[in-house]
Amino acid sequence: MTARFTMDETQPRLLDETAQGVIHEPMDRPEGRLKVTGCARYAAEHVLEGMAEGVLVRARVGRGRVSCADEEAVRAMPGVLGVYSDSRMLQVPAHGGAGTAPAQGPDEVRYFGQPVALVVAETPQQARHAAEALQVTYEEEPGDFDPDAAGTVDRPDKRALDQGDLDQAMAGAHRTVDVTCTTAPQHAAAMEPHAAVAVWEGDRLTLHGTLQMLKHNRAELADALGVAEEQVRILSPHVGGGFGSKLGISAESVAAALAARALGRPVRVVMSRQQVFETTTHRTATRQRIRLAADADGRLTAIGHEDRVYNLPGNAFSEPTAQSTHFLYAGENRRMAQEVARVNRACTGAVRAPGEAVGMLALEGAMDEMAEALGLDPIAFRKRNIPQRHPETGQPYSARALAGCMDDGARRFGWEARDPRPAQRREGEWWIGIGMAAAARVNLVSPSRARVTLREDGSALVETDMTDIGTGTYAILNQIAAEMLGLSPARVEVRLGDTDLPPASGSGGSMGASSAGSSVFVACRALRKTVAGRLGCHEHELTLKDGTATCANRRARLHELAASGALSEEGEFRPGTTKKQVSQASYGAFFAEVAVNGVTGETRVRRMDGTFAAGRILNEKTARSQCQGGMIWGIGAALTEEMVFDPRDGHVVNRDLAGYHIPVNADAPPIGVTFLEERDDHACPIQSKGVGELGISGAGAAILNAIYNATGLRLRDYPVRPEAILSDT
Amino acid sequence: MEIAFVLNGAPVRIDTTPTRTLLDWLREERALTGTKEGCNEGDCGACTVIVTGPDGTPRALNACILFLPQLHGKAVRTVEVIAGPDGALHPVQQAMVEHHGSQCGFCTPGFVVAMAAAHARGRTDHEDQLAGNLCRCTGYAPILRAARAAEGAPIPAWVAEDAAAARNHARQDTQADDAHPVFRPDISSGERGDAARGAESPPPTAPDAALPKDSDALAAWYEAHPDATLIAGATDVGLWVTKQLRDLAPVAFLHRCRDLARIEVSEREVRIGAMATLAELHEVMAPLHPSFAELIRRYGSVQVRNAATVGGNIANGSPIGDSPPALIALGATLHLRKGDARRSLPLEDFFVDYGKQDRAPGEFVEAVSFPRRPDTLSCQKLSKRFDQDISAVCGCFDIAVEDDTVTRARVAFGGMAATPKRARAVEATLEGQPWTAATVEAAMARLADDFRPIDDMRASAGYRLRAAQNMLARVFAERAGARTSVLEIAP
Ligand SMILES: Cc1cc2nc3c(=O)[nH]c(=O)nc-3n(C[C@H](O)[C@H](O)[C@H](O)COP(=O)(O)OP(=O)(O)OC[C@H]3O[C@@H](n4cnc5c(N)ncnc54)[C@H](O)[C@@H]3O)c2cc1C
Ligand code: FES
Ligand code: FES
Repeated sequence: MTARFTMDETQPRLLDETAQGVIHEPMDRPEGRLKVTGCARYAAEHVLEGMAEGVLVRARVGRGRVSCADEEAVRAMPGVLGVYSDSRMLQVPAHGGAGTAPAQGPDEVRYFGQPVALVVAETPQQARHAAEALQVTYEEEPGDFDPDAAGTVDRPDKRALDQGDLDQAMAGAHRTVDVTCTTAPQHAAAMEPHAAVAVWEGDRLTLHGTLQMLKHNRAELADALGVAEEQVRILSPHVGGGFGSKLGISAESVAAALAARALGRPVRVVMSRQQVFETTTHRTATRQRIRLAADADGRLTAIGHEDRVYNLPGNAFSEPTAQSTHFLYAGENRRMAQEVARVNRACTGAVRAPGEAVGMLALEGAMDEMAEALGLDPIAFRKRNIPQRHPETGQPYSARALAGCMDDGARRFGWEARDPRPAQRREGEWWIGIGMAAAARVNLVSPSRARVTLREDGSALVETDMTDIGTGTYAILNQIAAEMLGLSPARVEVRLGDTDLPPASGSGGSMGASSAGSSVFVACRALRKTVAGRLGCHEHELTLKDGTATCANRRARLHELAASGALSEEGEFRPGTTKKQVSQASYGAFFAEVAVNGVTGETRVRRMDGTFAAGRILNEKTARSQCQGGMIWGIGAALTEEMVFDPRDGHVVNRDLAGYHIPVNADAPPIGVTFLEERDDHACPIQSKGVGELGISGAGAAILNAIYNATGLRLRDYPVRPEAILSDT
Repeated sequence: MEIAFVLNGAPVRIDTTPTRTLLDWLREERALTGTKEGCNEGDCGACTVIVTGPDGTPRALNACILFLPQLHGKAVRTVEVIAGPDGALHPVQQAMVEHHGSQCGFCTPGFVVAMAAAHARGRTDHEDQLAGNLCRCTGYAPILRAARAAEGAPIPAWVAEDAAAARNHARQDTQADDAHPVFRPDISSGERGDAARGAESPPPTAPDAALPKDSDALAAWYEAHPDATLIAGATDVGLWVTKQLRDLAPVAFLHRCRDLARIEVSEREVRIGAMATLAELHEVMAPLHPSFAELIRRYGSVQVRNAATVGGNIANGSPIGDSPPALIALGATLHLRKGDARRSLPLEDFFVDYGKQDRAPGEFVEAVSFPRRPDTLSCQKLSKRFDQDISAVCGCFDIAVEDDTVTRARVAFGGMAATPKRARAVEATLEGQPWTAATVEAAMARLADDFRPIDDMRASAGYRLRAAQNMLARVFAERAGARTSVLEIAP
């Protein structure tokens, strides 16, 4: 049976009433043992009978057409089984939730490193050597490689807003800030490289992939291959990190499927780390102009946020840079606008917290500058500008603990000890400073389904095609079912990552826990009703705990109630009108203390705190990890991470982990994470909101604001290079 | 070539092409996929394994840049088999589960193995021990907590078993003849591995390969094969294979030449064999020249330092190698050998130009030596990321001051020119002068005469010069008692 629920009105807080007491608990992840013993199997580790090995061939021009590939020579190499350049192969990855194939046709080269062919051989070494040896000639065409000088620039209407009169407000303001901030291109650099193993049985394809949103991925893959969705099954039970780079299918899946079909053998395609950098989506660089106007009372009268990003010509995605600027602060005169430079660089797409991850850096830096211009404490200034209603739509807000987070964080961090005058504290050759920034990330939910079965032995099984990309899905779906059905978590089994199971939201946009969690909740709520019915009582009277159902004076063990046959419910959760009634986001505040070296210009973060409010916290441990990890991404954005593109042909210069610097443990200071107790009744029936991306949304700005406090240098280019500091100290 | 080692407690004998990596072999031939590939070039630690050599010490190494012949006679442990025999988790595994040190889990086996190696050696400097392991999910704190929680837990029995197996081999190896290094584990069930599959995966074509047992054997072989590639720790050569897919034939593996790995500290000099690893050098330098030891601590990672050799770090002639500037500042002499002929030259003279060294075909680095003197060395490494990063600038200053006068100044830099290079103008400005701020400032100005650094991704030319000058100022401040350590940033 299917229990359908659409979020059209707020729901009773059932998870606060239930008796098992496992929700919110810091439960260990159930698959932890598999992971620490090396037994969790990732996509590339599936070895099938007769499997052949494919290696993608990378384009070595920035734009042009493949005129000829000397396939014959390569076919003669040892072990080589075939060279494929099927017109269905992908030029670029699909974007999150696309559900249709992205641009196809490997003959047209649109960026350096684009896959133009797949070489398949008996062993990976043979395939790599043959792929390297394949002579491809191109008709090269002139490309645009520099976003600042691109010939074509689009201005998407959906990113444009003009409300009131920004210029006039700026002209007549008591204080103004008008600054330009830049952020560098970034890569998700998940530790697991993209990989796929494809096998056909008749006209049915099974793909072991590493993907975040299986129901969409299945549709994308079917569309790319020109087959029906029913013919495609994707398995992705363990994903070694995604952070957006595995939201949509990319080259390896389609290439593996095509070659497997042509060869009549299973084919495995694993990207090298270099290919991951070159051909999977990355985050655009941004140039952002922020304008703020404030009156003598420290109230914002205007906000402008205009940005320039880039992507390939014709590609639909553009970073929603100003996403949170729309709702975070007051100011009646507002202007947002975006320019999308069309360049021949690898495709840009969603990377952890698309929009806020970069937009909040510019906005929160400018807010710090304005606070100083007004002579106000940065927290007091922000609090003064928290709007009553959404300044553009007039919607009320759902749960919003921004002020509470700032106050709580300030107290924990010792904010009042900060000297607001810059360059006052020196320890040896280090300048010390403290800074803060607000955190905000829009809350998203999306349709999701899950089946929950109460088995004859009284244990439960949760099944959905939802993925766990490290976020803790196995743990939280277990906890929700255990809580709702009154079982110890050990009595609940969770199966994920298989498109044969009910389709979930997928992991992306921090919506997975709330969306998939709500579907499990809805299924369990229906099961509780059935259980109550069997006991002859109303569900409101029912208590489920430790495998026993109690209502009024009746008691029964769950396995007795299910003895005549397992009880199964499919729960479907759909976003509804509450989404439009209110403005929904997760909020928080970051605090950072930095030491800036006067001799070398190095910056090191000495400590960092974050206080967050994201509705109900389903598992304290997994949520904390998400925020901690996110804050390290903030450190990366502020200090180390930067993709470098060659201006001559657009190739990625630092396409490995030696040149693209994700923080190491020595870069990571002690980080404190605190959650404020919150329920967001408008978000979903379990009152939770997204946490996975909140920890990055603004974190880097706290660091640059702290650098200002330490040195008096207003830096607006991310990441901060020691050069920038040394040249001015 | 045929080699033998112990894998997870069981003997293995295989016939392999010399440049096949352990990681490929584990994953493809043994289906031991717990050991992950995150980068295939030593940067991420996802492929960490434990290798126990003839000295019985378990060491963490990156399997992705470790060639199978380098394992000959050693014992290898992978993540799947580090638990106790009763199936209980290793203490570090248990702690990783409890402290939520694993999220997506892809980095986890590498961390677990690096932690188990450190645990077996009783190390508690977890930040250093895990500097070579990247994690994109956790933010590291839960992992470090797990490492601390497992401190002092009992060491599993396999640690001693692997040590015994490797020592046993070392005894046999000393009797083996040079052409056929043998390793006959007591157990007779020696598997055939690759050999059983018929042909080893063809490319690159099976080349001549040698495993000389000492430096005399190496000298003879190399003189006869002057175009061969020498492989020491393979932290550099490994990338030629995994990243550039180069065919290296013929090759000689140097790790059996234990006589080349000796570090001798006498009253007059310190002599470091070419095959001494950076990890071994670190131990010897810690009491003699702590600042050099500190520089080495930030060299790559534990896994890299356990493999990389001093000889390799010099012979590759990299302008950003970390040990040459320090050794040059210490007044080092390089000892080369070709056949029976030996010669020595000041280390700085070995570096002729970018990619060009004063080394003849068939000639190899035997050792580097420098005089014993009271410690006056200051080494400073500047990189974009704190650990596991190549230097943008590496400055080394050996400045002796007596009665407020500079009696000796040797200054060398990496990252400032096409080779590691002495700052002779700076030295001349310092030597014989009073050790004062004015002298130091005058010397700083002369850096621009010594170096014309370049702009690149790591740093701009102007920054390099400025930072190099400031490093000298820092030495002055240091001597005056100022606190300058880049480590002392904790509030
Ligand atoms: C992840 C990573 C991080 C690194 N970090 C650093 C760092 O921080 N600082 C730094 O300086 N380097 C670093 N390196 C570079 C590398 O570790 C060094 O260059 C290393 O010293 C090379 O030594 P090896 O023994 O591994 O040499 P190999 O790779 O075995 O050989 C290097 C070269 O030297 C030659 N050679 C080796 N031994 C001899 C000999 N006895 N006589 C003549 N020729 C010989 C080889 O033929 C080859 O040309 C790093 C490397 C990696 C992979
Ligand atoms: S795979 Fe990254 S270090 Fe070996
Ligand atoms: S847990 Fe995902 S990379 Fe470390």
